[in-house]
Amino acid sequence: MQTNLQKNIKRQAPNKKPKRLFSMNQKEEFQGYIFIAPWVIGFLIFTAGPLLFSLYGSFTNFNITSSLSFIGLDNYKRMFTNDGLMWTSLWNTLYYVAISVPLTTAGAVLLAVLLNQNVPGTRLFRTIYYLPAVLSGVGVYLLWMQLLSPSSGLVNTLLSWVGIEGPSWLSDPAWTKPALIFMKLWSLGGGMLLYLASLQGVSKSLYEAAEIDGANVFRKFFHITLPMITPIIFFDLVTSFIGGFQIFQEAYVMSDSGNGGPANSLLFYNLHMWNKAFEVFDMGYAMAMSWILFIIILVLTVINLKLAPRWVHYDGEDRK
Amino acid sequence: MKAATKSIKLLLSLILSLTLLLTACSSNGGQGADSDKNSEGKVVIDFWTFWGSEIRRPVIEKIIQDFNNSQDKIEVKHTYLPFGDIWTKNLASIAAGKPADVIINDINQVAHRAQNNQNTNLSKYMEKDPEVKDRFFPELYKASLYKGEPYALPFNTDTRMLFYNKDMFKEVGLDPNKPPATWEELEEYGKKLDIKNGKNYDRIGYLPNYKMGAEVWMINADGKSYWDYKKEKPIIDDPSNIEALTWFKDYYDYYGSNVINKFQAEFGEETADPFISGKLAMTTETTNFFTKIRDYGEDINFGIAPLPAKEPGKSQTSWGGGFVAEIPKGAEHPDEAWEFLKYLTDVQAQEHWAVKGFDNVANIEASKKAAENPEFSEDGKMVYTASVKNLEETIITPVPLQAPDFTNLINPELEKVLLGKQSPKEGLKKAQRAVEQLVKNNK
Repeated sequence: MQTNLQKNIKRQAPNKKPKRLFSMNQKEEFQGYIFIAPWVIGFLIFTAGPLLFSLYGSFTNFNITSSLSFIGLDNYKRMFTNDGLMWTSLWNTLYYVAISVPLTTAGAVLLAVLLNQNVPGTRLFRTIYYLPAVLSGVGVYLLWMQLLSPSSGLVNTLLSWVGIEGPSWLSDPAWTKPALIFMKLWSLGGGMLLYLASLQGVSKSLYEAAEIDGANVFRKFFHITLPMITPIIFFDLVTSFIGGFQIFQEAYVMSDSGNGGPANSLLFYNLHMWNKAFEVFDMGYAMAMSWILFIIILVLTVINLKLAPRWVHYDGEDRK
Repeated sequence: MKAATKSIKLLLSLILSLTLLLTACSSNGGQGADSDKNSEGKVVIDFWTFWGSEIRRPVIEKIIQDFNNSQDKIEVKHTYLPFGDIWTKNLASIAAGKPADVIINDINQVAHRAQNNQNTNLSKYMEKDPEVKDRFFPELYKASLYKGEPYALPFNTDTRMLFYNKDMFKEVGLDPNKPPATWEELEEYGKKLDIKNGKNYDRIGYLPNYKMGAEVWMINADGKSYWDYKKEKPIIDDPSNIEALTWFKDYYDYYGSNVINKFQAEFGEETADPFISGKLAMTTETTNFFTKIRDYGEDINFGIAPLPAKEPGKSQTSWGGGFVAEIPKGAEHPDEAWEFLKYLTDVQAQEHWAVKGFDNVANIEASKKAAENPEFSEDGKMVYTASVKNLEETIITPVPLQAPDFTNLINPELEKVLLGKQSPKEGLKKAQRAVEQLVKNNK
């Protein structure tokens, strides 16, 4: 507002210079818009447009070619009352999120603390643990399918050395989701890096003060380290919650022809939605599913945000 | 404030002019492709296939070239799209009103696509050329009808048969010229051919659920599996299906999923294929499997036979699939496309496809001619002749219009049966109820 005010004042002032088409400010403003135009146009055409269309589409029986008629809440009704697979897929997704998010977060923090110690070779270990986070996608999943192979896979071979007969990871419905979570734990490195950075930002003087007071390692960890990195933990939690609900690729690649694995044990919400949309082209229904997922994630994120002030500690903020 | 509105207005006009430019470009490009005639005055039609492999591509392109040379009115242009993209692209292009003129598509969903306005009714052309429909195996032609009218022409197909290793038969004292003819014999021979090694196996005679699931045995038993096409309702839990699944499951349990999983983990491709590497003595495969034996298992002394029947004297029905050629809805040159469809499914093109790709084709005469083709080896002739005969007893199971994705509901129940989490009867009953529900929803 201030700049606008300034502009208005300027304009009111007597001015005998030859009239230019644009004032300097206008020009700058215009250039600014030009600079953001590619993003704005892209956003409107490729994101906002489809988003709004999918909201409308979720109330229709859209199937790409033959129908786009308004059917009210039928898709939503069907989803909640008549589609058993929807509940299976929702349950699978919740199972995955509920177990993998806490595990990966705790694992990443632990790893970061270990790698923050001043021991020889730390840099090498940091690189090694971070490497898997660089690799991603289908290649990694195929690799893990071999590692998890029941008789010849490395995982079960290792287990057999200590006398455990490993399960048939990806073909026994009771073990498919644990196998997937196990695989996800392998790529903790991304989160670890964030924590490592924030650990290095924790002021040494806090530890010194605690040592003088006679605090041991655990007290220091729980009363200094952990509170100081809560903002990062919070950020990591929120993003992994969202990412967790969107799990799709892993199940699509690691189950036969993307059907959701043995006895639907890997049929995640997004996979079911994808099947509805691109296998049977029941687009309207799939759009409705995507909006329900959006609402679930939105609600969880809001809860997360509301709970945050109770445990997230920002530096320089007074504890109330 | 005024300044802001001014620049926003300017920006808007800029965006608008940009979009105008873009649309101008696209309509220009569109016109290029639309132009009815090429430089020689021929009508150009676009033909989409997913045949891009070293083996398939030259064969289909030779057929196209022959067609282009055979007349001077139409020129066919081949567009290859990967298997994973072609259906989605087809739908998007139909929705956009600029589809291909001819496309190769799945035979099991012809009626489903017809119902959803995705392909063109061919009956007006069929009236002009009524003899066309008689060239196909009746089961395949039937699968390309919707409400009794044709919406596609069958192109190629397949059928499942039993391949068995004659040397292994001799080795255990079985007659190599007498393959199993009933389920009982299959199991008896199979177990005789097993070679055990402690808890595990070095060789398994016949492995249930490898390459062919219980549903094919259900079809084999009475010619029907999950759907009654006349009454248009699911028959998943009918007694014959329960019997077939029970037999299948008992046979599967003889080895148990642990042993089978371990055994299967070592299966591979090419020379590591279990039949070729000698891990399996019998296997049920589509007859195109012969090309693998030909290329990677030269020394294998194998025989081929129809699937064993449930009981002596019962039918040896098999299950097949295949692809059709059709004209997407809204195609620009349907008349020219029809000419090409006719050519694609006529004897010359079909025989070429059959021989070069060792694939079963929809045209009966071409099938018979191909079986005699001098390009085939002795074994090739034997297998091809057997496959053509088998096609007469092969059934196609198009997806029901009322429940297009019903296998998504059935397969998990079957998997639970095999895992021992429920009895065959329970599993099929549950699947039946779920599919009935789905049918009700889709009404």
